[in-house]
Amino acid sequence: MTALIRPLGALALSALAALVLSVALGSVTLPPDKILAALGGQGEALSRTLILELRLPRSLAAFAVGGLLAVAGALMQVLLRNPLADPYVLGLSGGASVGALMAMLAGLGSVLVSGSAFVGALVSTLLVFGLAHGRGGWTPARLLLTGVVVAAGWGAVITLMLAVSPADRLPGMLYWLMGDLSYAGTPWPPLVLLAIVCLLAVPLGRNLNVLARGAMQAAALGVSVRRLEWGLYLAASALTAMAVTTAGSIGFVGLVVPHMLRLLLGNDQRLILPACALAGGTLLLLADTLARIMIAPEQLPVGVITALLGVPTFLYLLYRSQ
Amino acid sequence: MTIRISRLLLTGLVLLLSVAAPASAEVCAVDDTDREVCLAAPAQRIAALSPGATELVYAAGAGEKVVAVVAYSDYPPEAREVASVGSHTRLDLERLVTLRPDLVIGWVTGNPPEQLERLEALGLPVFYIEPRSFEGVSGAIERLAILADTEAEGERVAGEFRDGMAALAARYAEAAPVRVFYQVWDEPLMTINDDHLIGQVLRLCGGVNVFGALPRLVPRPGEEAVLAADPEAILAGGMGEENRDWLDHWAQYPQLTAVARDNLFFVPPSLIQRPTPRLLEGSRLFCEKLERARERRGALGS
Repeated sequence: MTALIRPLGALALSALAALVLSVALGSVTLPPDKILAALGGQGEALSRTLILELRLPRSLAAFAVGGLLAVAGALMQVLLRNPLADPYVLGLSGGASVGALMAMLAGLGSVLVSGSAFVGALVSTLLVFGLAHGRGGWTPARLLLTGVVVAAGWGAVITLMLAVSPADRLPGMLYWLMGDLSYAGTPWPPLVLLAIVCLLAVPLGRNLNVLARGAMQAAALGVSVRRLEWGLYLAASALTAMAVTTAGSIGFVGLVVPHMLRLLLGNDQRLILPACALAGGTLLLLADTLARIMIAPEQLPVGVITALLGVPTFLYLLYRSQ
Repeated sequence: MTIRISRLLLTGLVLLLSVAAPASAEVCAVDDTDREVCLAAPAQRIAALSPGATELVYAAGAGEKVVAVVAYSDYPPEAREVASVGSHTRLDLERLVTLRPDLVIGWVTGNPPEQLERLEALGLPVFYIEPRSFEGVSGAIERLAILADTEAEGERVAGEFRDGMAALAARYAEAAPVRVFYQVWDEPLMTINDDHLIGQVLRLCGGVNVFGALPRLVPRPGEEAVLAADPEAILAGGMGEENRDWLDHWAQYPQLTAVARDNLFFVPPSLIQRPTPRLLEGSRLFCEKLERARERRGALGS
């Protein structure tokens, strides 16, 4: 058990440090005493607005989205037994993007854009789910191929929509596609979902560990493979849909964080899944803080920073590993 | 004794209130999304969230009250000194809120709606503008002047703009039509249709937009379509205020009427692409260019 608690404790501490950092830093510099007063609901109205209405909700949303994406990526990698799998590989972000862009083209408000992104993600999930069943047997390879082709289809639709959309809506649409936390609303739904998944990961982790070694072995050991795989697919889809709905399609986190943690901690899903939630959240939180302050008052797209931070770290870990 | 004192106090209070009342008079104006925005007192600290909005607020005589602008707010030159709160597509809300504006001028289709909704949720009044006609420009100036309590200056500037445009309209009402292609961008090739403000300027000067009937506000025609339309004059902005590269590109097609008659005209984009009082100057330039194209007809005998 200590083998679980020590790394998770360290990751939790770094997540907490990142949260403190992201609340303390902004394009406006506030002294620590004002920040503390604002957190306690005291102090002047301006610093309360800055901390409680702007920074804290955005930081929590960043953490939740990063965590969801990393966990979804880890689940997809177990499901497809393919190291290149990420939360978007099966076309889910494409479906969500088409939904969101359609709402933007129709000139709908932000709530409807999010709602329509969620519907798009669900449609894509069900489409891939239905098609991958097909007539014959079901294999992860078949699911992967179906998903990748559906994703390519969504990509074409997105390009078409961008090409015919009015020029004045283009920047908003492009920023949505890049992923951006400045549009995130309330952080609670993604946070609650993240907590639920982490709690479920521990009892299900053993079965996932067995599955990661191959479907045959898992079946031989009494795991109901098919049901587990569909469960994995739906869970990963729900997590990704929530993340994409909150902050657009932020890339990279879902692909690299699970690999990074496997290199560091080994491949025990009971440990990897909660660790992904913490490390993914921390990475996105740090990246978003940098995106807010690096060239303030201009703001950078957070996906740029996640990649800039993550690529060298990952390459170093990979190079060092045996 | 106590009664007298309290009565004195009361009179004093009433006097105070009657003096204070006009200064804190409520001001109201309807914005371009048809919402009425009311301020308890005229705005003292204005945040303008597009370069065009900044120009309009300065034009309304409220330049001194501008406390926040966005990137590329380069006119009038004083606006460059005002604190920036990011780009119009991605606002730094922290910095904006810290500047404590009491009125935010938003851009209907340019600013992210999520961020403006957030500002409104924080209690900041947002006045949306997006002029789509000449009257929209002068109207926006007047309405901004009401909110900033600078009505005299606002009405003067709006009146000048209105009269100037009316004078141009009168002067070119009978002018012979000139078929024009206006180039907004080169790769991809972009133009405007008749509904666009620039399309309205073309019509004002007696120009006929060869792509005016296309359904999209900013259509993207192919080069072939331009050659087939064979405009008599090509007007272009360009990257920067003096770059003629886009026009030189057309010179490779001598069969184009516009090229044969050397009717390739440059118009500084900042004078024509922003819905602000400078549009009057841009429109005058447009009309002069088209007039020159008419003169060249006679000279070439065609």
